Amino acid sequence: MSAQEHQPVLQLQELTRVHGSGTTEVHALRGIDLSVFPGELVAVMGPSGSGKSTLLTIAGGLDLPTSGRVLVEGTDLTTANRKQMAALRRRSIGYVFQDYNLIPALTAVENVALPRELDGTSARKARREALASLQEMDLDHLADRFPDEMSGGQQQRVAIARALVGDRRLVLADEPTGALDSETGESVLALLRARCDAGAAGVLVTHEPRFAAWADRVVFLRDGSVVDTTLRSNAESLLTGGVAQ
Amino acid sequence: MNGWLNSWRAAVRIARRDAWRFKGRSILVLAMIALPILGVSAADITIRSSQLTAEQSLTRDLGAADAVLSDAAYDGLPIYQSPDGRNKSLVNDNASGQMIPGGNGPGVNIPAVIPAGAKTLKDSVGTGKVHTKYGLLDVDIRELKASDPMAAGIMELDRGHFPDAPDEVMATNAFLKTSGLHVGSSVSARDLATKYKIVGAYDLPGELKTAQINALPDAFLAPLAKALKAAGRDGPGITSKYFVAVDGGFTWNMVKEVNAKSVVAHSRAVSLDPPADSEVPLFVKYPDWNQNYGGSTAEKAALLAVGATIVGLAMLEICLLAGPAFAVGARRSRRQLGLVGANGGDRRHIRAIVLSGGLVIGVVAAVVGTVLGLALTFALREPLEEYTGARFGGISVHPLELLGIGLLAILTGLLAAIVPAVVASRQSVLAALTGRRGVRHANRVLPVLGLAAVCLGVGIAVFGSMKTDNVLAVGGGSAIAELGIVALTPTLVGLFGRLGGWLPLSPRLALRDAVRNRGRTAPAVAAVLAAVAGTVAVATYTASSDLESRNGYEARAPYGVASISIEREQGRDLDAVRAAVEKRFPVSSRADVSRVVVGKKTCSMYSSSPGCGRAEMVLPPANACPTDGPDTDKKFSVAERRKLSKDWRCERTYHSSAISTDSEVLIGDAGLLHALGIKDPGAEQALAAGHTVLFDKHYVEKNRLTFRIIEDSSKPIAEGQEATGPLKSFPTYVAQDGTESYGVRAIMTPATAKAAGLQTLPFGSYFVNENAPSSKEQQALEDDLSKLGADPNLYVEEGYVSDNNVILLALTVFAGLVTIGAAGIATGLAQADAEPDLKTLAAIGADPRVRRTLSGFQCGVVAVMGVILGSAAGVLPAIGLRKAEERQQLKFYQEAMDRGWGGMGGVPHVPIVIPWSTLAALIVAVPLGAALLAALVTRSRTSLSRREAS
Repeated sequence: MSAQEHQPVLQLQELTRVHGSGTTEVHALRGIDLSVFPGELVAVMGPSGSGKSTLLTIAGGLDLPTSGRVLVEGTDLTTANRKQMAALRRRSIGYVFQDYNLIPALTAVENVALPRELDGTSARKARREALASLQEMDLDHLADRFPDEMSGGQQQRVAIARALVGDRRLVLADEPTGALDSETGESVLALLRARCDAGAAGVLVTHEPRFAAWADRVVFLRDGSVVDTTLRSNAESLLTGGVAQ
Repeated sequence: MNGWLNSWRAAVRIARRDAWRFKGRSILVLAMIALPILGVSAADITIRSSQLTAEQSLTRDLGAADAVLSDAAYDGLPIYQSPDGRNKSLVNDNASGQMIPGGNGPGVNIPAVIPAGAKTLKDSVGTGKVHTKYGLLDVDIRELKASDPMAAGIMELDRGHFPDAPDEVMATNAFLKTSGLHVGSSVSARDLATKYKIVGAYDLPGELKTAQINALPDAFLAPLAKALKAAGRDGPGITSKYFVAVDGGFTWNMVKEVNAKSVVAHSRAVSLDPPADSEVPLFVKYPDWNQNYGGSTAEKAALLAVGATIVGLAMLEICLLAGPAFAVGARRSRRQLGLVGANGGDRRHIRAIVLSGGLVIGVVAAVVGTVLGLALTFALREPLEEYTGARFGGISVHPLELLGIGLLAILTGLLAAIVPAVVASRQSVLAALTGRRGVRHANRVLPVLGLAAVCLGVGIAVFGSMKTDNVLAVGGGSAIAELGIVALTPTLVGLFGRLGGWLPLSPRLALRDAVRNRGRTAPAVAAVLAAVAGTVAVATYTASSDLESRNGYEARAPYGVASISIEREQGRDLDAVRAAVEKRFPVSSRADVSRVVVGKKTCSMYSSSPGCGRAEMVLPPANACPTDGPDTDKKFSVAERRKLSKDWRCERTYHSSAISTDSEVLIGDAGLLHALGIKDPGAEQALAAGHTVLFDKHYVEKNRLTFRIIEDSSKPIAEGQEATGPLKSFPTYVAQDGTESYGVRAIMTPATAKAAGLQTLPFGSYFVNENAPSSKEQQALEDDLSKLGADPNLYVEEGYVSDNNVILLALTVFAGLVTIGAAGIATGLAQADAEPDLKTLAAIGADPRVRRTLSGFQCGVVAVMGVILGSAAGVLPAIGLRKAEERQQLKFYQEAMDRGWGGMGGVPHVPIVIPWSTLAALIVAVPLGAALLAALVTRSRTSLSRREAS
């Protein structure tokens, strides 16, 4: 293992996020510490309002914490300006949402190539890289289809391809299977797992224990705090749902 | 740079596909931008195509000849001419310019001045009346051997052939159209027995509207002149010019040689290669004559500024209308833009995507607009040529100009998308992705700028209308203030929100929503405001000046009375014309009028030809206004002159009458008094007693009116003296003060005139009608009169008729359409935003109709705000303009008073009229219509949608 692989791709240190102030004050996150290493897929579980999505948006630089630090590949997001954050999203962080993940006006390959093109890569080179990425995931037959010509599962898989195109090593997935049937959901998770096995770091927000079972580690959140962490060896027990309770 | 280009390429791709996906919206914006571009590019191509090259215009004027020579009409005196032959002057003209020969002398023998060895072709033209299918028609009769190679290009043969025999003619299509004749039919002139067969139809490429007949040389005009002379009528007035072909071309020296013999030459060689100004004696003598008469530099700059302002305002209007459409697009694809943000797009990229929308539509609009403009010009070439009255030299496309027009479209598209792009880019990625609706606050700088512009503009306009009489300052100030109000719109929209409390649910929801989302409401309101303000300003101004014209209108006869008068040919056709009027109009009585003729009976009125004179009313010296004489400034002080301007002697007004003559007296009987509506037994008795009736007391002295009989007007004028002649005096009755005579100054009976030895000629008639002749009756009469060929002056007193109603209506319709369009777009935007609210409303049990009513009120709210603000913004500049005009008129009035001029008719009154009907239509009818339309086209059922990501 190289030294780089020992460095966490994502580090959350003493992370807190408070919405509103005074009587309307809500503590979405309270002092979260979390590190995600290359090759690791971490699932975040918890009831509604526990702070799962807030954690993910702060990890991706879409929102800022009230206190604490967020390091992505060593860069502190809390001190980066808007442009640097956007650049980090283009080069280091990939997002997968529950639905409406792809830009309807672009084909699959163009969607995958988009972060690279926004980064200033020539259209031809970006397309080449995107095709390679799709090929790696056996999605190259979808390359020239528009989102409305693909099934939900296909769209999610293309979204994962986009999240990891180029040198990006962190994929943040917010309920990526939420709008899919269970079989398709499994195939999407399998792909995400495979990408992490190939060296990416992943954070998966889900409230379905059987999808969390694909993770190396499961972090449980309640009222903005980590209440439990389970390693993969115990993850199988999640299928029974016992630990989550 | 490369990276920047690549990220723009991605943005353009997204925008392009989006434009294609939302075709309805794209077509709407495309039409808004492309339509003006179509019009402008079609106008550009038409104007360019109608501009001929030097060679093309020379071919039309000269055919294949080297020059055309014509008589300068300066009685054979040497002349100077400009190289193109358009300007000419006598070599020895009087410095004061008073004495220019009228061309009444014998013409120059042009063939005698043509260089030896030159080939020539004679081209004569005169006028005559020819019989047509409908009656008689005045036409040009030309004699040019069109088949001669030298004439090639002057006449375009459309069908048939050139005349080969003396009894053959060809005619222009314009003539055939108006005469109802065709190739193959015969045509004859009045008083000429010969019939000519029309063997061909032709066009004059530069004058498609000219009715002309062309015969072989000496085949038509000479026999016609002879026949007219025999019938005692005026001749055809023949003028001839000569086409000349010379080896080596007609040089400038040759031009100068023929100039010495009073002949003007239009030479091909000289026109194509004009001599230096120093070699042109005309320009040496009058250096100014070589200027282009296109106005001064300042005028050109002002014209350019007006043009730029119109283009600028049009672009602003389009931007304000199209802007919300782009905002709708950006709002609808908010999640898409959020996704771009989540994938690393920063503000610049989001802006690029929305701006690309403007770019894509702008480029397509540019291409569609210019291509359609070109196609339209191609397709409508013939009607356009007919309309302009001249054939194009060919379709002439100036790519750079079209490119410029196209760039204007692209610029408009980009400008329209700027604000939506900035707003979209400022949105947080998280809010976009989660679909959270934050209230978008209006810009804080804009209202300050707007307020500053309003203050500055109002200041300039008020200064312009109160302190100066500068109309331009009022207009400019108003324009600045208007732009300021447009910028202030978001703030003003906010003020409307306070009215919301007492409204029922749907309108309250609509108003609150509009006020909370000023970012989208304001552009639509501003678009309505700008269009309505312009309309109301023009409508107020037009209605006000309309009232002024109505107040200042001087009737020439009592309402419903008609008159005809004929000067030509001593009124020979008068009986036929009177019969025609009596046939078509509901005539109850007729009063015939004659005129006094001094000198030859064939003299026309106001003629200064030898042997022609006139009778003149003599103003008794005691009644003359003291300030009318010379050196008034020295003789009287300003105070005296002001006092004199109120003196009865100086208070003389001039008023034109339906029938006017050069001798200022109408010969008629008591029937004329009746026709003029004058009920004065004294006047009737006076006429019966052989007295003259006078309506202008200034001319009476000791109850007598005196005429000076000037036997020959040409002589005294030629010597630069006052006209003189024997005096004839008549016992006179002066009509009571305040009698309205409709411009008639004096009436004398035929018997009195005859007894005094005055020669008279029948001149016309007044017709008293049972009711005012209808438009249909007037058209029927005009049709009859045109067939008679007598060319009488027909006048029907219909009171003041405003021709501004159509303009007002067109403006109201325009403003209404803009209002409905802008309000509709804003409603679309509001609907896109209000979807979650509507779902909530539906969930808590609101009637499906609420959706419709809400949409209707949203549309109505925008329209109401726009028209109210626009009406206020439009009325004020119009009032300012009127005030400035009032100051201008007061200044003139004051000046006139200071000079002691009477007859100004009191202190000028410049009325201001608020066009209530236009305002009512705009403030009530248009918003109501817009609201109903929006409610009608909104679906009342909610569509099921997928659950959004939490």
